[in-house]
Amino acid sequence: MISISELTKTYGVGDAAVTALDHVSLEIGSGEFVAIMGPSGSGKSTFLSLLGCLERPSGGRYLVDGRDTETLSDDDLADLRMQKFGFVFQAYNLMPRYGIMRNVELPLIYMGVGRRERAARAEALLRRVGLGHRLRHKPTELSGGEQQRVAIARALVNNPAVILADEPTGNLDSKAGHEIMGIFQELHREGKTIILVTHEPNIARYAGRILYFLDGHLIREEANTP
Amino acid sequence: MKFDDLTQIVGENLLAHRMRAILTILGITIGIAAVIAVVAIGQGGRVAILSQIEQLGSSRYFEITVDQSRGEAATVDTFRMEDATLIKELSPAVEKLAPIAVGAIIDVRLPQTNQKPVSAQLLGTTPDYAPAGNLSFASGRFLSAGDVSAHSRVVVLDAELSKQIFGDADPVGKQVFIQDNSATVIGLLKKQASGLMGSMGIRYAYVPITFAQEILNSRVIYQLSGVAVSKEALPQAIADSVKILEKRHPASGVHYKGQSMEDQLGAISQVTSVITMVIGAVAAIALVVGGVGVMNIMLVAVTERTREIGLLKALGARRRDIMQQFLGEAIALCLVGGFFGVLFGAGGAWIVAYFAHWPPLISGWTILLAFGFSATVGLFFGIYPASRAAALSPAEALRHL
Repeated sequence: MISISELTKTYGVGDAAVTALDHVSLEIGSGEFVAIMGPSGSGKSTFLSLLGCLERPSGGRYLVDGRDTETLSDDDLADLRMQKFGFVFQAYNLMPRYGIMRNVELPLIYMGVGRRERAARAEALLRRVGLGHRLRHKPTELSGGEQQRVAIARALVNNPAVILADEPTGNLDSKAGHEIMGIFQELHREGKTIILVTHEPNIARYAGRILYFLDGHLIREEANTP
Repeated sequence: MKFDDLTQIVGENLLAHRMRAILTILGITIGIAAVIAVVAIGQGGRVAILSQIEQLGSSRYFEITVDQSRGEAATVDTFRMEDATLIKELSPAVEKLAPIAVGAIIDVRLPQTNQKPVSAQLLGTTPDYAPAGNLSFASGRFLSAGDVSAHSRVVVLDAELSKQIFGDADPVGKQVFIQDNSATVIGLLKKQASGLMGSMGIRYAYVPITFAQEILNSRVIYQLSGVAVSKEALPQAIADSVKILEKRHPASGVHYKGQSMEDQLGAISQVTSVITMVIGAVAAIALVVGGVGVMNIMLVAVTERTREIGLLKALGARRRDIMQQFLGEAIALCLVGGFFGVLFGAGGAWIVAYFAHWPPLISGWTILLAFGFSATVGLFFGIYPASRAAALSPAEALRHL
């Protein structure tokens, strides 16, 4: 499903150029649960944002379902993100002035889905992540773990095949972190592809495949039995 | 994105920064109000001036003067008393023609009283002036040919002048002093509906031209005023008059110039539109300043919401969605500003019109134009910030703090 060869990302130009990702090649199949590990500055977050088409690589090829992303326009990439990917961020990235229902509905608004259907889907997903009793709240009224669940519901609302999560437990205590990972595990069981960046080994343990990054290189990968 | 969702998002974003939105709207309001008020006052004033001038004379009215634009002034040799009669005989296009002698403002007062004299404009002429000047009478009659040939000491007063001297009494048959010449009032003009000259405080006293020349101690005739047989005959009447005068007074050294009522209206109308345009341009600058305010605020909003834009893009918002959102905010600010601008501008114009006794001229068209203009300002000044927002790469925007 995801096919990457010689993927490179350089920031800046000339002497100031920094290579964040250096000729990485990789295949990720449908339904895999992949954890990406590495110290900060190792290129793991850059890699995830390239996977999610949040930015374009400086070199190499990236195919999604056989489609070369280089040939896609910015709007095509937006459509691809909308249909294929769901994002979960370390800082949750919820809109503080909206209620949690509207936060979850947000991707559907840009898809042009009607109000009634939006509300139904958002409510179902919020119930599913265990927030059925908090539907009328604003994000700032929730705990970190609860906010991250809202973010997961939002990532799921467009029914994407792939969930991309950048340190989703990074701001959470250990208990809340494991609860979040439980949700990911469940999604994986349902057939979602999950790609998760973390620097905590006991979070990476949930994945079936662990990739190690260092200085922009993919240095090692290992299979794991969760 | 659906339109109702777009309007909701735009509304929420503006409400999130109420104070800022209100101040930006205020800028646009001032600009639009200034433009609307100036245009409405200008148009109303123009209509008022033109309609008042139209009341001053027949549509077939014309006058022959010297070319003042060349710095010329009438002298004793420019027009002769017989010229008017002669032109009337020679040109079939000229129906009436009267010589006019005017002088400085003179005093008119009642004899043998301590009444304060009233200032008036003395206008010496012949019977033909009555149709040319569109004069209508409340009482008495106008000057007759006999009055002119006999140098009769008679006078026709306009309504305002009579009121100031005689109050509401009928002045016909009574005596007045013009400067120090006693004269009998023979006619009283009807009150004109707040004429332009009237509102400027100019009152007229009409006397036989022969009498006027005695009072003023000058034989200079300033112009000939008349009416053509028809509106179509106006150019012919003017051309004939000028030709005859040139032939009769080759040594006068002046250029005779004819002007119809239409010409005068055209000239005045042009002057008033130029004034309106100049003030309007100044008002438009206020609107542009308001527009720059909108752009400024939108650029701040883009910078502030960079992370949010990154998030929306990550969630699948297209370039166009982001563009629409920011442009929508700019246009909404301008339309709300435009609404209040129309309200205040129209209110201001109405107040001015009320005190100046003008028709308040705010057409639906002006309002439509103002709204169109404010939407255009929003569009124009919103495009740059909106496209900057839309062009951000999502990853870059998300990294932004």
